[in-house]
Amino acid sequence: MSVEVVPSTPVIARPMSHGRREFRRAVRSMVQARWPLVAMVILLLVAIAAVFGTWISPLDPNRQDIMMRLADPLTEGRRNAFFVLGTDGLGRDVLSRLLYGARISLLVGICAILVGGTIGVVAGLVAGYFGGWIDDVIMRLGDIQLAFPFILLAIMFLVILGPGVMNIIIVLGVGQWVTYARIVRAQTLSLREKEYVEAARALGDSTFLIIFRTILPNIIAPLTVIASFNVASVILSEASLSFLGLGVPPNVPTWGAMLADSRDQLMANKWWLAFFPGIAIVLTVLAFNILGDWLRDFLDPRLKTMA
Amino acid sequence: MKAINRFLFAGALAAALPGLSQAAPPDDTIVVGLSADASTFDPAQISSRDNSNIAKHIFASLFKVNFEGAVEPYLVDTTTISEDGLAYTFSIKPDLTCEDGEPLTAEDVAYSFNRAADPANAFTGNTPGFVYTTLGFKSAEVVDDLNVTINVTAKTTLAPGMMAQVLIHCKDSYEAMTLEQAAATPIGSGSYRLASWERGSQIVLEKVKDPGTFDTIIWRIIPEASTRTAELIAGNVDIITNVAPDQVPAIDASGSATVEKVNGTRRMQVGFNLGKGVEGMPGAAEIQDPKVRFALQYAVDVPSICTQLLGAECTRMTSLVNPPNGNPDLVPIPYDPEMAETLLDEAGYPRAENGVRFSIRLQGPRGRYLNDANVVQAIGQYLNDVGIETEVELLEWASVYSPLLRTKEMGPLFFLGQGGVTWNPLYDMSLFSTPDGATNYQSWTDQRWFDDWKLAIDADTVEAARPIIDRMLKLFYDEGPWLQLYFQPDLYGVSSRIDWTPRRDEEIELFAATLK
Repeated sequence: MSVEVVPSTPVIARPMSHGRREFRRAVRSMVQARWPLVAMVILLLVAIAAVFGTWISPLDPNRQDIMMRLADPLTEGRRNAFFVLGTDGLGRDVLSRLLYGARISLLVGICAILVGGTIGVVAGLVAGYFGGWIDDVIMRLGDIQLAFPFILLAIMFLVILGPGVMNIIIVLGVGQWVTYARIVRAQTLSLREKEYVEAARALGDSTFLIIFRTILPNIIAPLTVIASFNVASVILSEASLSFLGLGVPPNVPTWGAMLADSRDQLMANKWWLAFFPGIAIVLTVLAFNILGDWLRDFLDPRLKTMA
Repeated sequence: MKAINRFLFAGALAAALPGLSQAAPPDDTIVVGLSADASTFDPAQISSRDNSNIAKHIFASLFKVNFEGAVEPYLVDTTTISEDGLAYTFSIKPDLTCEDGEPLTAEDVAYSFNRAADPANAFTGNTPGFVYTTLGFKSAEVVDDLNVTINVTAKTTLAPGMMAQVLIHCKDSYEAMTLEQAAATPIGSGSYRLASWERGSQIVLEKVKDPGTFDTIIWRIIPEASTRTAELIAGNVDIITNVAPDQVPAIDASGSATVEKVNGTRRMQVGFNLGKGVEGMPGAAEIQDPKVRFALQYAVDVPSICTQLLGAECTRMTSLVNPPNGNPDLVPIPYDPEMAETLLDEAGYPRAENGVRFSIRLQGPRGRYLNDANVVQAIGQYLNDVGIETEVELLEWASVYSPLLRTKEMGPLFFLGQGGVTWNPLYDMSLFSTPDGATNYQSWTDQRWFDDWKLAIDADTVEAARPIIDRMLKLFYDEGPWLQLYFQPDLYGVSSRIDWTPRRDEEIELFAATLK
């Protein structure tokens, strides 16, 4: 009797794509480090509040009822209203304003980085690749801008342009370009001498293609790290400018403006007016910073060792 | 993590900062915390109340308005009025001097009046912009060393009160100065001299002669209301103005200070800009209709604004005249949004499908008046409730709002407070002395008012003018250019170290303040 040995079907492991492998490594790293995971959860909650604020907010954030002003948290209002986080000095629901405020904070944070990042990256690439007088002009412009305290510059422009979401995005965005330009320029200076750039040149690629298809993809990693830190600083700047009354119009709820409105009530022990927007700003900024720290370590482990 | 450590350190630092405080003022010094800095000390250029409050300690005037609101002589000894009422001859007290020792004579009084009116100087302060317009000031002439004649174009019962606003200064000193020097280094005729002026920080006055209890007065500029309150409670300042209503309990409970409330004479309103400055803007055409303006009076709950946002009970104004000088037949318009909607329907502005009757912009200052930002936003909500889509815009006072007022480009709705008095109703009404006057911010041109104004101002006494005044105030009530709000209650924080009683007219007079 012969026993036929049936060979088992060979299991051929499908090779994982580079993207999926990196994603899994990122998730593993995030879970191991714990804090970045917490930060990611916080930012997800803020993003949900920003995107779905209109639907999940219990009341109109601008609806005033001065007879219900400064109501404590968990107070029942008129017309079936219930104020989970209390009301402000004009009887507006603090929770609804907090949810709407998330939208402005994220919108300003992300858009300002896109504006500043785009200008800075293009300027840095051009300066680094071409060098010479173009480099001198761009970098000296950056030096001039850095010579002014940023918040002072922002106040000056907002006094001229007037308050408004679009204006604040432009002002904060333009204020960020130098950081990106300097980093991109330094990277470009070193990359333009690399063999693969020489090869692209030898193959007859245009300057535009070399800059944006060959060099740019190789400097994305450090840019991502800087952007994550910058979002936090832009959110803080927006809060500061709104606190000074230069941010957005009074009918647009922002965390900074909510803090500003709470000043007169602090001595009256209406703690919730400053506490909730304050904690929202602190947590969001902290989350972006933690995520930035982690992203830097993840993308360039050598920096972690050095730290 | 480094980020967390940085955050904790910053928090600890922030918590420690309030512990740092200045020393309490010495016994010969009184410190007042103001919300805004002075802009000039040129007597003819001063226009704001805070600025004028400081200047009145540096400069004397012919008359002054006393604590009770009555006009009494200051530098003047005797007054003679010509038969036609167009020439006032004042005999001033002898042996007066200015701060630098220069004798103060009738020549200096005439110079002070004429300098403010000199078109070459292009002054825009209260004296040329408001006092002279109302007085119909023509000229000032020297009779002899102690006698001076002021000529006016129209007889008026307002003259002594208006002349109390003209600050007297010495001719030789001011002729030797440029306008810039006069604005920064005044040479006064009053009890105190300007010792130093750190812009945006503090103004120090030193006593040169009586009256005056304290040797030094320091006016500290503290724009933010909670900081003023904190400084008062800490004992670093003796008096603060514009206490935020929500901070009253904290001050009263501090043991180091209390809040004094007075019924102020400042008339708070939402002005309807009827002029060319806002022509073509949304809502500008609609408010030209007196029926619309009257309807809007019913839309705003003024008593609730007072109790909830100003921390005081108040009666709604019926006109621009302070009580008890108003028309007694006029009743404050109640809050009745349904009536407002009915009247707007009747005026031809029904709600559209989206619920909006028309759109309009409401502008207001931030930090100029008691809780102004909140009051303006609350008014915006009330107007929205009756279908008037109101865009609220809050602006910085000194550099943005004031210039708009001067050029009459604010609004079409604008929040404003204008100082008033109790000694003569015509003073309050003089805001509308001419259709294009500087204080007619609303560009109100109703001829019935201006015809009656001429009759009222010409009357020998206020009593004689009473029927005309009442008729004018009825017209103002029905068709006037104000959405009438309230006479602003004034809240002062006063240290328990001093004895000082605030006045109703917002003048901060420190001559009689004493240590307890």
